[in-house]
Amino acid sequence: MPVLEVSNLSKRYSGVAALSDVSLSATAGEIHAIVGANGAGKSTLMNLISGTVSPSSGSISLDGKNVRFANPQAAQSMGIATVYQEFSLVPQLSVARNVFLGREPRNRFGLIDPARLMADTRALLSKYKIELDPAAEVESLSVAQQQMVEIARALTYASRVLILDEPTAVLSLREQENLFSIMRRLRDDNLLILFVSHRLEEILNIADRITVFRDGRKIETLAAAGSSISEIVNRMTGRERALPKQPAPVQENAESYTIEYKSSGDPQTIRIRCGEIVGIAGLVGAGRTGFARSLAGLSGRNGAVRIERDGKTLSLKSPRQAMREGVVYLTEDRKRDGIFSGLDLVANATAAALPDLAQGGIRNRRAERDRAASMLERLHLVAASLSLPISKLSGGNQQKVVMARALLTHPKLLICDEPTRGVDVGGKAEIHDILRGLAAQGTAVLVISSEIEELLSLSHRILTMRDRRFVAEMPARQTSEKDILMAASGAAPAKETS
Amino acid sequence: MTEVSRSKSPSLRVLSHIHRASSHENAVWWMIGAGMLGAALFVPGFLDLQNLANVARQSAVLGVLAIGQTYVITAGMIDLSVGQIAGLVVVLSSAMINGDTSMTLPVAMLMLCIGAGIGFFNGVLLNLLRLHPLILTFGMLSVLQGIIFTYTDRSVGRTSEWLSALANNDLFGIPLSAFLVIALAFGAHLVLTRTRFGYHLVAAGGNAESARRAGIRLWRIRLAVFVVSGITAALAGLLLAGRIGTGYPLAGNGLELDAIVAVVLGGTALSGGRGSVLRSLAGVVLLACISNLLNLLEVSAYLQMFIKGAIVVLAILLNQSRKGQA
Repeated sequence: MPVLEVSNLSKRYSGVAALSDVSLSATAGEIHAIVGANGAGKSTLMNLISGTVSPSSGSISLDGKNVRFANPQAAQSMGIATVYQEFSLVPQLSVARNVFLGREPRNRFGLIDPARLMADTRALLSKYKIELDPAAEVESLSVAQQQMVEIARALTYASRVLILDEPTAVLSLREQENLFSIMRRLRDDNLLILFVSHRLEEILNIADRITVFRDGRKIETLAAAGSSISEIVNRMTGRERALPKQPAPVQENAESYTIEYKSSGDPQTIRIRCGEIVGIAGLVGAGRTGFARSLAGLSGRNGAVRIERDGKTLSLKSPRQAMREGVVYLTEDRKRDGIFSGLDLVANATAAALPDLAQGGIRNRRAERDRAASMLERLHLVAASLSLPISKLSGGNQQKVVMARALLTHPKLLICDEPTRGVDVGGKAEIHDILRGLAAQGTAVLVISSEIEELLSLSHRILTMRDRRFVAEMPARQTSEKDILMAASGAAPAKETS
Repeated sequence: MTEVSRSKSPSLRVLSHIHRASSHENAVWWMIGAGMLGAALFVPGFLDLQNLANVARQSAVLGVLAIGQTYVITAGMIDLSVGQIAGLVVVLSSAMINGDTSMTLPVAMLMLCIGAGIGFFNGVLLNLLRLHPLILTFGMLSVLQGIIFTYTDRSVGRTSEWLSALANNDLFGIPLSAFLVIALAFGAHLVLTRTRFGYHLVAAGGNAESARRAGIRLWRIRLAVFVVSGITAALAGLLLAGRIGTGYPLAGNGLELDAIVAVVLGGTALSGGRGSVLRSLAGVVLLACISNLLNLLEVSAYLQMFIKGAIVVLAILLNQSRKGQA
């Protein structure tokens, strides 16, 4: 019997349909994946089911009874738990206080019992084998750990339906595996799990059924067993997927960067040539971002970097200096330190190029607009207007704007940290094309990604990090996902790079 | 910081532990300790019991204000109207009591209700108009000042013996007002650290959107903290009236800033989400000690302003730079 039934559901925002006439039924004890490109209506559907927004027409029924949620709390009280894509944690508070926020255990005097709060949290975490210190402040945790806090929080009240909106985007492999086993366990406890993800492989691996969305409509629900990635992609895009492209060969006599990195143990040296794309693989916490931030002059906390371009030492003590030398870092956390959420696309795109565009310190709006427009066009950004605030764009389009900002400073060494996180299949391919194009024009590109598949198709070489050291170097053409995973997790005695 | 300290030798670990303990939140206790020690060694008369009781009496008014302000700031807001609420209470209560002790209780009750009412009004306006609390309560500050001066431009009435006794007398050599403030602070601390209201207040100050998603009703928290702030401001006004003895219309001027400084000295984040009533009280004591020391050293009033300002900025700078490192 279906636990959740959605019939003829539509949602319009000021006349524009975000979701049109969707009917869907999902049963208890199933993992039901929802896939589709950005703007396909997945998030809208999840928001409707979780009570965050209310439908324009159509109905939702839970256990056969028609329900209307006035707010998210109404849905929560009926056992529908949601793990939001953007975090809903309070950074200054402990893990325990976040997990039970709004439903703290009280003793008979009505006072909160901190010891019981800790104990309950510890019990919940150990029940689901989540390795976290209940007393740790959320602020001090990595993004992946914060995601696990978010999931633990949802587990405290998920009794009928658990909605996971791209939960694995920031998780390391081990945490992903753990999340999948939690999901299987909840399925066996007869919960319905709605699972939104862009990673088709993991969907085929974990889901029972898959519903594909395109342009606000439901296309089809498939059984995961017997489906293939290309089948799903065809339904998502309505066209065949092209073969992965190859990066252009690097010129033999190209200029090169020599980077000496000292964090834990002896200093290590890596090289990257102009026109080359070098991938950096590693588990979350391996120190990839720390290396990148040191390299771009953002923080010296994670180790010291000495960088030479053709024998000339560059001094990069601040992002400003780094940018002047053409070394630019693109953040992994767009929302926190990538976008200016209140500003429009032009301001976001030209923020770093202002010194260039402002004559004598006076801003030239038209030049800014022209420059932004031509760069965004080059990146195939589709937006109704350049005056939109960036927060109105999808993740993939926000990423393109942030990339435009970096490109407008004419980088010679571009460091991209998780450039396609939260970006749909189509947007991903476009961002890959942009990076390949940059390299072909002589930019040295370092790409950090948790998606090894992405690194394999994008880079010339792949470096693997573990415990803040480079532990392996492999040419992308002659290596496999498995080799890299082994090196990253320390499963095999990997040979250190010099 | 944690990662680094793990790999260090034991002695270094101890050092970094001390550094961390002395950093951010608890810095105020260290500053008091160091200051007291220095004062005891170099300033004759500071450790005198009579002098210390004096410091406590001087701290009481600010202490009560700082308790309310800690709630407001921890919830991510600010209340600039408290000084003038206290000032209004000083003038009104003195005028109404006018030396008649039997009027003390009813007037005190009325004053607390007025404080609560002004706080309630602040809270309602904040919720309805969605103004920034800085602007809103600054407006209230100005309005109240206008009301006070419309009523009188010179001192009016006389406070009651009871209020005067509460503000100035001792029990077992300890000022009565100190008992009051300490009891109040422990009560407020308990509410902040052990009740749902307290938990939700901190969460709302840390990240309002997350708190809202967790089902916390933000409007109720906002309303409640301003009511608490109004009541504590009125209580501070009663104590202040007891100390001054008469309805002096300028009595409350600038108190709101002293209260905010004390709260921040105590390590409460101006951005909300972190706060402790007890540490705010320590901030108040620190401020009072500085004043007291400067008086004992017979520093001129103008120079005192200069020195106090510099010390406060330095202390908060110290607080922040260490927080940044940790």
